[in-house]
Amino acid sequence: MKLKSARALMSAAMVLAGANAAEAHIVAARLGDFYMGAVHPLTDLGDVVLWTATGMLAGTLGGAKARWLIPVFPLGLLVGLSLGNVFSATSAQLADATMMLAIGMLLAAAAQVPTLLLCAIAFAVAVIRGAANGADLGPETDRLLFAAGLAGVGYGAITLTMALTAVFRRTHSDSATSWRAIAVRALGGWIAAIGLMMASLTLAS
Amino acid sequence: MSLRIPQALTTAIVSIALTQPALAHEQAGVAGGLVSGLLHPITGIDHLIAMVAVGIWGAQLGAPAIWILPITFPLVMAVGGVLGVLHVPLPMPEVMIAVSAVILGVAVAARLRLPFAAAAVVVAIFAIFHGHAHGAELPRAANALAYGVGFVTATGLLHLCGIAIGTLTRWPAGERIIQGLGAGIAGIGCYFLAQGIGAFA
Repeated sequence: MKLKSARALMSAAMVLAGANAAEAHIVAARLGDFYMGAVHPLTDLGDVVLWTATGMLAGTLGGAKARWLIPVFPLGLLVGLSLGNVFSATSAQLADATMMLAIGMLLAAAAQVPTLLLCAIAFAVAVIRGAANGADLGPETDRLLFAAGLAGVGYGAITLTMALTAVFRRTHSDSATSWRAIAVRALGGWIAAIGLMMASLTLAS
Repeated sequence: MSLRIPQALTTAIVSIALTQPALAHEQAGVAGGLVSGLLHPITGIDHLIAMVAVGIWGAQLGAPAIWILPITFPLVMAVGGVLGVLHVPLPMPEVMIAVSAVILGVAVAARLRLPFAAAAVVVAIFAIFHGHAHGAELPRAANALAYGVGFVTATGLLHLCGIAIGTLTRWPAGERIIQGLGAGIAGIGCYFLAQGIGAFA
């Protein structure tokens, strides 16, 4: 009797360990590609680093310049996605590394980037990363739903990063040597260093 | 009959232990990925003490060194890393790394107050040698982005550790502790220097 209860307990534990959540939502009803588009860039270091760097750069330049990225960035992602597999793996990595180096240097130098240049940088990043996301799509993926998810998360992520950076950097003195400004610049230096390392490793391999 | 419980238990443990996460991206599970990049700068004691010493010395020097070094140090070190990856030779890299620990340790112990430009040049030269060593030892199978993120983050955090320790200089007793640490770093550097020039051979 004691043995039976132990086995029952064991069976129950195994059933619970292997249990999956019930899927009552539209993920299972052919809208899964929307969520795939929304989640895919958040699980890729290239997207995470470059999107964060772009949002930080815009955030440090103030709301008047940054707000242009709200339409420009998602639009660039869609353009990149429509291009698909135009970049080879090596050229895509080099493009990522170059953008990291450029944006990181601008952040580290606390450069006052003109609005037009900021929009051009953000658009270029979005096109490169949109194409990279598009390269991973299978033939069965609904591209329209994927694009909607990607553009949606691009809009949300860039807006949130810009807003958080602008709020974080705001100080009473607005001094270039306040610890908040230095923290943002130091992170820019790190991003530029990552870009430099990445470019050399890509070229070497 | 009593054997069945251990068997079932073993089966359960094995079935759970063998489950693996789904990896949809190339940054995980590669030789030279994120973890490899994170661990590389902290697994060599000569590198580690020199990185921390740079942070402590920057804190001792105060502004502008304390805020310029965190911005520029990882970048200059990455330049050295590029030279290492591309196998551009530097003279006596192991000896120079040991010398860097000795000089930075002495600078901390003696509270050496160089002009900022001179301190920046000294630190930049050492940063290039340290970066070169890391770049030259890098596995060729490394994922470039994941390794770079890990490497730069670990280097920057080591530097920040040094700055945090360096804030002890605000108190007289803390200053003494830091000078002792500097002497210890210089001592360890001397050991590696002797090793580098073949004194123990």
